[in-house]
Amino acid sequence: MNPPGAHAWPLPGAGAGDGPLPGDRDAGPDFAETGTRGQTVLAARVIEKIAAQVASDESSAGGSSGGFLGIGNRADLAARPKASVELAGNIATLRVEVGMLYPVPLRQATEALRGRIRTRVTELTGVDVREVDIRISWLTTDTNGRRKLL
Amino acid sequence: MRQTAGTLNRIWLAVLGILFVAAGAALLLQSNGTLHALLNTARFWESVVTGDLHAFFAQPWVAAFLLLIGVILAVLGLLWIIAQIPRKNTAGAYRLHDDGSQGFTLCDPSVLAAAVESRINALPGVVSSAVLLRGTASAPDLSLRVTVNDRADVQDVIHRIQTSTLRELSYALEAPLQRSQLQIEISGRSQSTGTVVHSTGTVVY
Repeated sequence: MNPPGAHAWPLPGAGAGDGPLPGDRDAGPDFAETGTRGQTVLAARVIEKIAAQVASDESSAGGSSGGFLGIGNRADLAARPKASVELAGNIATLRVEVGMLYPVPLRQATEALRGRIRTRVTELTGVDVREVDIRISWLTTDTNGRRKLL
Repeated sequence: MRQTAGTLNRIWLAVLGILFVAAGAALLLQSNGTLHALLNTARFWESVVTGDLHAFFAQPWVAAFLLLIGVILAVLGLLWIIAQIPRKNTAGAYRLHDDGSQGFTLCDPSVLAAAVESRINALPGVVSSAVLLRGTASAPDLSLRVTVNDRADVQDVIHRIQTSTLRELSYALEAPLQRSQLQIEISGRSQSTGTVVHSTGTVVY
């Protein structure tokens, strides 16, 4: 049984049937053998960090940095947004709190961000991301906020 | 910026006015005998109530009934007084998603207001500003209070707000503004935006 807040990667051969899945016709003995090696458990925190990193890397969304115990945070487009995940088996619901540039078309920007997070998190973790709730927590007019790494 | 109970006041004052006009007209008609001629009511010198009123009011249910009426009137009056307190009536979180099946997108109006304030405060001559958003994400309602210093070109500030600030907000929300209110105040304070001016030049040591 998986620990709470964790997602176990579905391993072929690790289930009750102990055989390749119906769709895995090409799965040979090696594939079935991997199931006996163990189980990969993905903590919810990992999915949260991946989602936050995807949001930070591939859009104009940012997070907050600095401060202490949530006090004195400042908007930072270079920082990683805050993300949380709710897992139900292999299905995830993500909540992301982002800051964005102003003015941008917020509906379009968040829709693109949602699509990107869904695609990338699913690709990277194998978890089916059904919903991505986005909360815009701040807007900045300062375009120099994003740090450029040379 | 704050909303008052103007409509509520007008409605209730109209209702009370109609009631008092009707009562006054009835009293006038009764006193000159017209009501008696029309509806065969009692004449103004005749006693309508016969019997002992003390005995009627001595009954316990009458006192309780009158007390209840008094309490209801007092509560209505109190509610009317409370409604006179000006309120901001800020909007709830703006919903920026079309189809909630993929997830929700929420943005608090105060977040947008802060961004608009930041834009307005950068305009020349603006000392401070306060922005309040009402309505919904698809039909936003904007109230602006802009304080400019006494040397600012007010027409220019208004023009910039109309052509730049309001358009940016409309562009960000992807919806036209339903209504926008602008209040300009003049102050003797100077503008302090803290803007860093990038300049180039030769440093002489």
